[in-house]
Amino acid sequence: MSVSTARRYARLTTVLCGVSLHRLTAYRMDFLIGAASFVIRIACQIALISVIFQYVPSLGGWTQQQALFLLGFSLLPRGLDRLFTDQLWILAWQLVRTGDFFRYMIRPVNPFYSLLSERFLYPDGFGELATGIAIVVTAAGAMDLDLTLVQWLLFLPLVLCGALIHTFIKAFLASLSFWMTSSLNVMVAVNQLSEFTAYPLNLYHPVLRGLLTWVLPFAFTAYIPARYLLTGDTGLLLWTLPVTALTVLLGYGTFRLGIRRYEMPGS
Amino acid sequence: MIVAEHVSKHFKRHRREPGLRGSLRTMFSSQYDLVRAVDDVSFEVPAGVKIAYIGANGAGKSTTIKLLTGIMRPTTGQVRVDGLDPHRRRVEVAHRIGVVFGQRSQLWWDLPVLDSFRVLRHIYEVPRAVYDRNMRLFRDRLDLGALGNTPVRQLSLGQRMRAEIAASLLHDPAVLFLDEPTIGLDLVLKQAVRDLINHVNAELGTTVMLTSHDIGDITGICDQALVVDRGAIVHQGTMRELLRSVDTRAVTFEYAAGSVTEAEALQIIAAELPDVRAIPAESGRIRVEYPVERWSARQVIAVLLNRFDLTDVLVPDADLETLLRRIYAGSPAEPVSVGDGA
Repeated sequence: MSVSTARRYARLTTVLCGVSLHRLTAYRMDFLIGAASFVIRIACQIALISVIFQYVPSLGGWTQQQALFLLGFSLLPRGLDRLFTDQLWILAWQLVRTGDFFRYMIRPVNPFYSLLSERFLYPDGFGELATGIAIVVTAAGAMDLDLTLVQWLLFLPLVLCGALIHTFIKAFLASLSFWMTSSLNVMVAVNQLSEFTAYPLNLYHPVLRGLLTWVLPFAFTAYIPARYLLTGDTGLLLWTLPVTALTVLLGYGTFRLGIRRYEMPGS
Repeated sequence: MIVAEHVSKHFKRHRREPGLRGSLRTMFSSQYDLVRAVDDVSFEVPAGVKIAYIGANGAGKSTTIKLLTGIMRPTTGQVRVDGLDPHRRRVEVAHRIGVVFGQRSQLWWDLPVLDSFRVLRHIYEVPRAVYDRNMRLFRDRLDLGALGNTPVRQLSLGQRMRAEIAASLLHDPAVLFLDEPTIGLDLVLKQAVRDLINHVNAELGTTVMLTSHDIGDITGICDQALVVDRGAIVHQGTMRELLRSVDTRAVTFEYAAGSVTEAEALQIIAAELPDVRAIPAESGRIRVEYPVERWSARQVIAVLLNRFDLTDVLVPDADLETLLRRIYAGSPAEPVSVGDGA
């Protein structure tokens, strides 16, 4: 991608985010309902953790504050992802079946970008991101977490890699709809599985742990980076970059293949 | 400007069997039917021409447009728009074409109309002056200003179609593909859309390819016609040639009430004008369709004047309607050829 192309997409993204914010104010009710339902869900998760820690002092070696930090951190890549890629759900659900996908094929921009751009800055993502930051800051404050310089420097890149992993696993699953006309069921199932990563992964059966690390690498979006930030344990951390790259290639490659065989139904 | 060379598009359709057992069998079988939506079609449309793409439902019109706009790839053969392969060089081609599918929307569902256009301006990199000029044009001709801040999802079909057509023209495309562009529009707006398209064609030399079931769209916009039947081209030429190839004409007349009964009237025509088809039309009128090879207009009118107490006579324009009806009904391979009478 040349510099001028990159600049063009950057400018486009600014414009699209601008009109999306405009939309946000136009549909304030949608925004509030979305945010409220999300806060309730997170409150339940926090309550669950608190209840558990009333009975045990530590869980698989994690203290309550550490577990909260993990929960909060898991929301950061997820929220960042949701801010920009919510339209993938619509692709999985119906865009192929109804034929509406065609509009991303007739615009003079990358069709993947064109697809995502339809829901840039969708309201739900804000709630996730804000809650995540609040929990991370509170938990880190409560345990006097002291990050090293390297950890500070790696914080944002790790969140970004996590977001990319979320995005392109979704892209892969949503692209299956080019073959199956709708892949929403698969995507819902995988999304539920991904919520497991909000809790310490070492609690789970090794098979599930392996699945979440190497097949659907959600572990790299929360458990692995959070453990590194909390304990300095670099264990699988070095795998983050190759795993992210591979996920991106697989997700985007599947999308391109899907486009090649896209058949627009109806007249 | 638009070229198709031996283009075919075949779809595989899994054979589905009825019932639970059938659907189970479908899941595990690899049997499918091959649907030839477009079959070895070749044509060429020069720049600046407004061509109607005519054919019955299922004749492959929409499929061809999807191939020409880069939405799908042909199974075999080649399509080119302005010299480029629309699927392989999609982005470049997208800059040069405008597309309207009357049944679908390409606008941002929950953005206000004007925001949609602001986004399109950036996506298509439309220069400020062109943008202002076109928006003024759309305001004047399509009353686009009235839609302003309404989100697309709250527009009526007619309002949405106006926005869709404007959106397809915003970037001064070299080629405009219109698939049922006036669906849901009232007569005044239909005319406004036709005028706008003709205006753009006259000013900028825009090539237009139109499919429509609305005869008014075809006659009001197009100067050429391309007739497809079952995936293959059966006629290409000017609109005039197409109309000349129609081998029947029609006259509709009204006679003084009570002078003869309808059945008698039909009998009289059958007796005096063999090979002519007389059909009762609305409000007591009778439509007479006669083969031009057998009868002249003078002969037919003479008989009518002679035998009926005429109160009104209508001679429709050369009969595109009959022609289209015959094409749509799926008449034998060459719907515009002469010789089978009426």
